[in-house]
Amino acid sequence: MEEIFNPQVLFYLFTIPITKTIISTWVVMAFLVLFSFVLTRKMTFIPGRLQNVLELFVEAIINLIEGMSPGNGRKFLPLVGTLALFIGTANLAHLVPGLKAPTSDFNTAFALALVVFFAVPFYGITTQGPKQYFKEYISPSPILLPFHIISEITRTFSLALRLFGNILGEEIIIGILFLLAPLFVPVPMMLFSIFTAIIQAYIFTILTVVYLSSAVEVSKH
Amino acid sequence: MQGEILFLCVTVFTAGFAIALGVIFPALGQGKACAQALESIARQPEATGPISRTLFVGLAMLESLAIYVLVISLILLFANPLLRYVFH
Repeated sequence: MEEIFNPQVLFYLFTIPITKTIISTWVVMAFLVLFSFVLTRKMTFIPGRLQNVLELFVEAIINLIEGMSPGNGRKFLPLVGTLALFIGTANLAHLVPGLKAPTSDFNTAFALALVVFFAVPFYGITTQGPKQYFKEYISPSPILLPFHIISEITRTFSLALRLFGNILGEEIIIGILFLLAPLFVPVPMMLFSIFTAIIQAYIFTILTVVYLSSAVEVSKH
Repeated sequence: MQGEILFLCVTVFTAGFAIALGVIFPALGQGKACAQALESIARQPEATGPISRTLFVGLAMLESLAIYVLVISLILLFANPLLRYVFH
Protein backbone atom coordinates (compact mmCIF):
# COMPACT_ATOMS: atom_id res chain seq x y z
CA MET A 1 0.00 0.00 0.00
CA GLU A 2 3.11 2.17 0.03
CA GLU A 3 2.35 3.06 -3.59
CA ILE A 4 -0.54 5.30 -2.55
CA PHE A 5 1.90 8.13 -2.04
CA ASN A 6 4.89 6.94 -4.03
CA PRO A 7 3.60 5.50 -7.28
CA GLN A 8 5.38 2.40 -8.40
CA VAL A 9 7.99 2.89 -11.13
CA LEU A 10 7.24 0.57 -14.02
CA PHE A 11 10.38 1.14 -16.11
CA TYR A 12 12.98 3.76 -16.91
CA LEU A 13 12.99 5.68 -20.18
CA PHE A 14 16.46 7.27 -20.62
CA THR A 15 16.81 7.48 -16.81
CA ILE A 16 13.35 9.10 -16.48
CA PRO A 17 11.20 6.97 -14.18
CA ILE A 18 7.89 6.10 -15.84
CA THR A 19 5.04 5.45 -13.43
CA LYS A 20 1.51 4.29 -14.05
CA THR A 21 0.38 7.90 -13.57
CA ILE A 22 2.43 9.09 -16.53
CA ILE A 23 1.08 6.36 -18.79
CA SER A 24 -2.50 7.13 -17.75
CA THR A 25 -1.93 10.85 -18.27
CA TRP A 26 -0.60 10.25 -21.78
CA VAL A 27 -3.54 7.99 -22.60
CA VAL A 28 -5.97 10.67 -21.40
CA MET A 29 -4.12 13.34 -23.39
CA ALA A 30 -4.05 11.22 -26.53
CA PHE A 31 -7.74 10.47 -26.16
CA LEU A 32 -8.64 14.15 -25.77
CA VAL A 33 -6.45 15.29 -28.66
CA LEU A 34 -7.69 12.59 -31.02
CA PHE A 35 -11.32 13.09 -29.98
CA SER A 36 -11.16 16.85 -30.52
CA PHE A 37 -9.20 16.48 -33.75
CA VAL A 38 -11.62 14.02 -35.28
CA LEU A 39 -14.63 16.08 -34.22
CA THR A 40 -13.34 19.42 -35.50
CA ARG A 41 -11.58 18.25 -38.65
CA LYS A 42 -14.44 19.17 -40.95
CA MET A 43 -16.08 22.09 -39.19
CA THR A 44 -19.23 23.46 -40.74
CA PHE A 45 -21.18 26.57 -39.96
CA ILE A 46 -24.26 24.55 -39.16
CA PRO A 47 -22.83 21.98 -36.73
CA GLY A 48 -23.29 18.30 -37.33
CA ARG A 49 -24.16 15.89 -34.58
CA LEU A 50 -20.57 15.34 -33.39
CA GLN A 51 -19.48 18.94 -33.70
CA ASN A 52 -22.45 19.89 -31.56
CA VAL A 53 -20.99 17.92 -28.64
CA LEU A 54 -17.92 20.14 -28.48
CA GLU A 55 -19.87 23.33 -29.13
CA LEU A 56 -22.18 22.45 -26.27
CA PHE A 57 -19.19 22.06 -23.97
CA VAL A 58 -17.57 25.32 -25.06
CA GLU A 59 -20.82 27.19 -24.63
CA ALA A 60 -21.38 25.67 -21.18
CA ILE A 61 -17.93 26.82 -20.05
CA ILE A 62 -18.45 30.32 -21.45
CA ASN A 63 -21.81 30.58 -19.70
CA LEU A 64 -20.27 29.36 -16.44
CA ILE A 65 -17.56 32.04 -16.59
CA GLU A 66 -19.96 34.78 -17.70
CA GLY A 67 -22.21 33.98 -14.77
CA MET A 68 -19.43 34.64 -12.26
CA SER A 69 -17.25 37.17 -14.05
CA PRO A 70 -19.24 39.00 -16.75
CA GLY A 71 -17.34 39.92 -19.89
CA ASN A 72 -14.43 37.53 -19.33
CA GLY A 73 -15.90 34.40 -20.90
CA ARG A 74 -13.69 34.39 -23.99
CA LYS A 75 -10.58 35.40 -22.09
CA PHE A 76 -10.68 32.58 -19.52
CA LEU A 77 -12.05 29.96 -21.90
CA PRO A 78 -8.71 28.39 -22.99
CA LEU A 79 -7.41 27.82 -19.46
CA VAL A 80 -10.67 26.96 -17.73
CA GLY A 81 -11.96 24.80 -20.56
CA THR A 82 -8.73 22.83 -20.73
CA LEU A 83 -8.67 22.29 -16.98
CA ALA A 84 -12.30 21.15 -16.95
CA LEU A 85 -11.86 18.74 -19.87
CA PHE A 86 -8.61 17.28 -18.61
CA ILE A 87 -9.68 16.86 -14.99
CA GLY A 88 -13.05 15.45 -15.96
CA THR A 89 -11.50 12.86 -18.26
CA ALA A 90 -8.64 12.10 -15.88
CA ASN A 91 -11.01 11.49 -12.98
CA LEU A 92 -12.98 9.01 -15.08
CA ALA A 93 -9.86 7.22 -16.32
CA HIS A 94 -9.83 4.68 -13.49
CA LEU A 95 -13.01 3.12 -14.86
CA VAL A 96 -10.94 1.89 -17.81
CA PRO A 97 -9.25 -1.39 -16.87
CA GLY A 98 -5.49 -1.04 -16.56
CA LEU A 99 -5.49 2.71 -16.13
CA LYS A 100 -5.47 4.68 -12.91
CA ALA A 101 -6.87 8.15 -12.46
CA PRO A 102 -3.91 10.52 -12.92
CA THR A 103 -5.48 12.91 -10.42
CA SER A 104 -5.24 10.31 -7.65
CA ASP A 105 -1.51 11.00 -7.72
CA PHE A 106 -0.66 14.02 -5.61
CA ASN A 107 1.89 15.22 -8.18
CA THR A 108 -0.75 15.62 -10.90
CA ALA A 109 -3.19 17.39 -8.60
CA PHE A 110 -0.51 19.74 -7.32
CA ALA A 111 0.71 20.51 -10.85
CA LEU A 112 -2.83 21.48 -11.86
CA ALA A 113 -3.18 23.68 -8.79
CA LEU A 114 0.16 25.34 -9.58
CA VAL A 115 -1.15 26.24 -13.02
CA VAL A 116 -3.98 28.11 -11.31
CA PHE A 117 -1.52 29.64 -8.81
CA PHE A 118 0.48 31.21 -11.64
CA ALA A 119 -2.50 32.02 -13.85
CA VAL A 120 -4.08 34.26 -11.21
CA PRO A 121 -1.28 36.91 -11.13
CA PHE A 122 -0.85 36.55 -14.90
CA TYR A 123 -4.44 37.50 -15.66
CA GLY A 124 -4.47 40.05 -12.84
CA ILE A 125 -1.36 41.86 -14.09
CA THR A 126 -2.32 41.77 -17.77
CA THR A 127 -5.76 43.17 -16.95
CA GLN A 128 -5.08 45.77 -14.28
CA GLY A 129 -1.38 46.45 -14.71
CA PRO A 130 1.25 45.47 -12.12
CA LYS A 131 0.80 48.55 -9.92
CA GLN A 132 -2.92 48.14 -9.44
CA TYR A 133 -2.61 44.37 -8.98
CA PHE A 134 0.05 44.48 -6.27
CA LYS A 135 -1.78 47.30 -4.53
CA GLU A 136 -4.45 44.71 -3.71
CA TYR A 137 -1.91 42.93 -1.51
CA ILE A 138 -1.38 45.92 0.78
CA SER A 139 -4.99 47.02 0.95
CA PRO A 140 -6.57 48.04 3.24
CA SER A 141 -3.30 48.18 5.19
CA PRO A 142 0.25 46.81 4.71
CA ILE A 143 -0.12 44.71 7.88
CA LEU A 144 -2.29 42.33 5.87
CA LEU A 145 0.45 41.55 3.33
CA PRO A 146 1.58 38.27 4.98
CA PHE A 147 -2.03 37.10 5.26
CA HIS A 148 -2.68 37.76 1.58
CA ILE A 149 0.42 35.75 0.67
CA ILE A 150 -0.49 32.91 3.04
CA SER A 151 -4.00 32.74 1.66
CA GLU A 152 -2.65 32.48 -1.91
CA ILE A 153 -0.47 29.54 -0.89
CA THR A 154 -2.98 27.68 1.26
CA ARG A 155 -5.73 27.92 -1.31
CA THR A 156 -3.39 26.34 -3.85
CA PHE A 157 -2.76 23.47 -1.44
CA SER A 158 -6.44 23.07 -0.65
CA LEU A 159 -7.27 23.04 -4.37
CA ALA A 160 -4.76 20.26 -4.94
CA LEU A 161 -5.60 18.27 -1.80
CA ARG A 162 -9.35 18.40 -2.44
CA LEU A 163 -9.04 16.88 -5.89
CA PHE A 164 -6.41 14.36 -4.83
CA GLY A 165 -8.18 13.29 -1.64
CA ASN A 166 -11.58 12.81 -3.26
CA ILE A 167 -10.33 10.77 -6.18
CA LEU A 168 -7.90 8.74 -4.10
CA GLY A 169 -10.55 8.06 -1.45
CA GLU A 170 -12.94 6.84 -4.12
CA GLU A 171 -10.25 4.61 -5.59
CA ILE A 172 -9.37 3.13 -2.20
CA ILE A 173 -13.02 2.37 -1.43
CA ILE A 174 -13.43 0.59 -4.77
CA GLY A 175 -10.19 -1.29 -4.13
CA ILE A 176 -11.33 -2.45 -0.70
CA LEU A 177 -14.71 -3.58 -2.08
CA PHE A 178 -12.82 -5.52 -4.75
CA LEU A 179 -10.84 -7.28 -2.04
CA LEU A 180 -14.01 -8.20 -0.14
CA ALA A 181 -16.29 -9.24 -3.00
CA PRO A 182 -14.97 -8.84 -6.53
CA LEU A 183 -18.21 -9.72 -8.33
CA PHE A 184 -20.84 -6.96 -8.81
CA VAL A 185 -20.42 -5.50 -5.30
CA PRO A 186 -18.11 -2.64 -6.37
CA VAL A 187 -20.38 -1.65 -9.26
CA PRO A 188 -22.66 0.74 -7.28
CA MET A 189 -19.59 2.41 -5.83
CA MET A 190 -18.10 2.74 -9.31
CA LEU A 191 -21.31 4.37 -10.52
CA PHE A 192 -21.08 6.76 -7.58
CA SER A 193 -17.46 7.47 -8.50
CA ILE A 194 -18.61 8.78 -11.91
CA PHE A 195 -20.72 11.31 -10.02
CA THR A 196 -17.80 12.24 -7.74
CA ALA A 197 -15.45 12.60 -10.69
CA ILE A 198 -17.70 15.02 -12.54
CA ILE A 199 -18.52 17.00 -9.38
CA GLN A 200 -14.83 17.35 -8.54
CA ALA A 201 -14.00 18.55 -12.05
CA TYR A 202 -16.85 21.05 -11.77
CA ILE A 203 -15.66 22.28 -8.37
CA PHE A 204 -12.06 22.67 -9.54
CA THR A 205 -13.29 24.63 -12.56
CA ILE A 206 -15.64 26.84 -10.59
CA LEU A 207 -13.01 27.63 -7.95
CA THR A 208 -10.52 28.51 -10.70
CA VAL A 209 -13.07 30.91 -12.14
CA VAL A 210 -13.67 32.42 -8.69
CA TYR A 211 -9.94 32.98 -8.11
CA LEU A 212 -9.40 34.40 -11.61
CA SER A 213 -12.37 36.72 -11.42
CA SER A 214 -11.24 38.04 -8.04
CA ALA A 215 -7.87 38.84 -9.64
CA VAL A 216 -9.21 40.70 -12.68
CA GLU A 217 -11.96 42.71 -11.10
CA VAL A 218 -10.85 46.29 -10.64
CA SER A 219 -11.21 47.40 -7.04
CA LYS A 220 -13.37 50.38 -6.22
CA HIS A 221 -11.18 52.06 -3.63
CA MET B 1 9.25 -4.76 20.90
CA GLN B 2 6.61 -3.50 23.36
CA GLY B 3 7.22 0.11 22.39
CA GLU B 4 6.91 -0.62 18.69
CA ILE B 5 3.58 -2.39 19.13
CA LEU B 6 2.30 0.45 21.28
CA PHE B 7 3.37 2.88 18.56
CA LEU B 8 1.45 0.95 15.91
CA CYS B 9 -1.64 0.70 18.13
CA VAL B 10 -1.62 4.43 18.83
CA THR B 11 -1.14 5.21 15.13
CA VAL B 12 -4.06 3.08 14.01
CA PHE B 13 -6.29 4.36 16.81
CA THR B 14 -5.41 7.97 16.01
CA ALA B 15 -6.11 7.50 12.31
CA GLY B 16 -9.52 5.97 13.01
CA PHE B 17 -10.43 8.53 15.63
CA ALA B 18 -9.30 11.42 13.44
CA ILE B 19 -11.40 10.30 10.50
CA ALA B 20 -14.44 9.83 12.74
CA LEU B 21 -14.23 13.31 14.27
CA GLY B 22 -13.11 14.90 11.03
CA VAL B 23 -16.10 13.58 9.13
CA ILE B 24 -18.77 14.33 11.74
CA PHE B 25 -18.30 18.07 11.87
CA PRO B 26 -17.92 18.87 8.15
CA ALA B 27 -20.99 16.65 7.61
CA LEU B 28 -22.98 18.73 10.09
CA GLY B 29 -21.83 21.91 8.40
CA GLN B 30 -22.64 20.64 4.93
CA GLY B 31 -26.05 19.49 6.07
CA LYS B 32 -26.78 22.91 7.47
CA ALA B 33 -25.60 24.61 4.27
CA CYS B 34 -27.72 22.29 2.09
CA ALA B 35 -30.79 22.82 4.26
CA GLN B 36 -30.46 26.58 4.07
CA ALA B 37 -29.92 26.50 0.32
CA LEU B 38 -32.98 24.29 -0.20
CA GLU B 39 -35.05 26.60 1.95
CA SER B 40 -34.04 29.66 -0.02
CA ILE B 41 -34.60 27.86 -3.33
CA ALA B 42 -38.09 26.90 -2.15
CA ARG B 43 -38.76 30.50 -1.24
CA GLN B 44 -37.27 31.96 -4.42
CA PRO B 45 -37.16 29.35 -7.21
CA GLU B 46 -35.97 31.89 -9.77
CA ALA B 47 -32.68 32.28 -7.88
CA THR B 48 -31.81 28.58 -8.22
CA GLY B 49 -28.80 29.21 -10.48
CA PRO B 50 -26.76 31.60 -8.31
CA ILE B 51 -27.75 29.80 -5.09
CA SER B 52 -26.66 26.38 -6.29
CA ARG B 53 -23.41 27.77 -7.68
CA THR B 54 -22.55 29.43 -4.38
CA LEU B 55 -23.66 26.30 -2.56
CA PHE B 56 -21.22 24.20 -4.60
CA VAL B 57 -18.32 26.52 -3.83
CA GLY B 58 -19.21 26.50 -0.12
CA LEU B 59 -19.61 22.75 -0.03
CA ALA B 60 -16.22 22.37 -1.72
CA MET B 61 -14.64 24.53 0.97
CA LEU B 62 -16.29 22.52 3.75
CA GLU B 63 -15.44 19.27 2.11
CA SER B 64 -11.76 20.11 1.91
CA LEU B 65 -11.68 20.05 5.73
CA ALA B 66 -12.75 16.41 5.72
CA ILE B 67 -10.26 15.75 2.94
CA TYR B 68 -7.41 17.15 5.05
CA VAL B 69 -8.31 14.66 7.76
CA LEU B 70 -8.50 11.85 5.20
CA VAL B 71 -5.04 12.71 3.87
CA ILE B 72 -3.58 12.84 7.37
CA SER B 73 -5.03 9.47 8.33
CA LEU B 74 -3.82 7.97 5.06
CA ILE B 75 -0.34 9.29 5.80
CA LEU B 76 -0.54 7.83 9.31
CA LEU B 77 -1.63 4.44 8.02
CA PHE B 78 0.32 3.99 4.81
CA ALA B 79 3.23 6.41 4.70
CA ASN B 80 4.05 7.22 8.31
CA PRO B 81 7.31 9.17 8.23
CA LEU B 82 8.06 8.36 11.89
CA LEU B 83 8.15 4.60 11.32
CA ARG B 84 11.78 4.89 10.23
CA TYR B 85 12.80 5.98 13.71
CA VAL B 86 10.84 3.29 15.51
CA PHE B 87 11.78 0.30 13.31
CA HIS B 88 15.47 0.63 12.51
